[in-house]
Amino acid sequence: MLPYLGKAMTNLFRKPSTEKFPVGDAPQAAERYRGRISYNPDVCVNCGMCMRVCAPQCMHRDIETLENGDQKITFTFDLTSCTFCGMCADFCSRHSITLTDDYMMVGTQPEDFIVTGSFIKKAPPPKPKLTPEQIAEMKAKAEAAKAAKAAAKAEEPKADA
Amino acid sequence: MFEKLIDNSMAKSPWIFHVNAGSCNGCDIELVSVLTPRYDAERFGFRLTGTPRQADIVVVSGPITLQTRDRLRRVLEQVPEPYVVVSLGSCPKSGNVFKGSYSIDGPLDKWTHVDVSVAGCTPKPEAIVAALAKATEILKEKRKEMRK
Ligand code: SF4
Ligand code: SF4
Ligand code: SF4
Repeated sequence: MLPYLGKAMTNLFRKPSTEKFPVGDAPQAAERYRGRISYNPDVCVNCGMCMRVCAPQCMHRDIETLENGDQKITFTFDLTSCTFCGMCADFCSRHSITLTDDYMMVGTQPEDFIVTGSFIKKAPPPKPKLTPEQIAEMKAKAEAAKAAKAAAKAEEPKADA
Repeated sequence: MFEKLIDNSMAKSPWIFHVNAGSCNGCDIELVSVLTPRYDAERFGFRLTGTPRQADIVVVSGPITLQTRDRLRRVLEQVPEPYVVVSLGSCPKSGNVFKGSYSIDGPLDKWTHVDVSVAGCTPKPEAIVAALAKATEILKEKRKEMRK
């Protein structure tokens, strides 16, 4: 009987275990919690690995070709489609995707759940144009090199013997 | 005068009806934990009710399977206007990992209006409390509009 009484007395004076929230700030999530996705387009290399490993197909890539041949690549993550498994972040070799500890993903509009970022992929420099004479010259050079090599090979066994 | 009294009392205590539309139970457990002493949503007047006819807020979890689709619709038909639909977790909004399965018929937007959504798989109880608080505000506004 006595231990119960003791427990009852201590419980009477302990502070309640109920969290104060929503009065005041929301408490911090646990360490390594996987919450809202953050995407850094500056380091992304558009390898597409994240899209390949995402089970619910949560991200979506738009490729828009600009006038000068560059490509504008936009990644869009829909958080209402994500299962927060962290696979994309694990497989991203550039650490462009991270899962933050922000878990307050509450909203009334679809835009509240969109994480997006875009970057410009430069087009490769145009190939230098060669004139027919230049090509013929290069061909001749290659032939000469080949002939010299063959001659050297033909000489080699003699040197051995 | 009575209307005002009723409105005020109802705004202070929105009752929740929870529909499990094929959820994996993760979200359901978290919704129940919101009512436990640690998060104690009952201090704001939220209460789980056993019948949709008394509900003000309908919380739906799960990707709407073929088995639950008609039951979900029947439940929603019984809820008196105005009511707020809260989509709990990623499943009702998109199908989540079950997207494209032969046995689901979602998303929830196809069947009803979704007023508040919480993303997460599962959402943390604090996020659910925040969503319920937002749902209460929307409910108040809807009721005001209906009185006009
Ligand atoms: S986010 Fe990472 S994995 Fe995805 S395309 Fe960019 S670099 Fe590749
Ligand atoms: S966390 Fe998982 S579900 Fe979400 S985007 Fe990344 S891979 Fe897809
Ligand atoms: S959102 Fe995740 S935890 Fe919730 S029902 Fe769907 S799969 Fe389960």
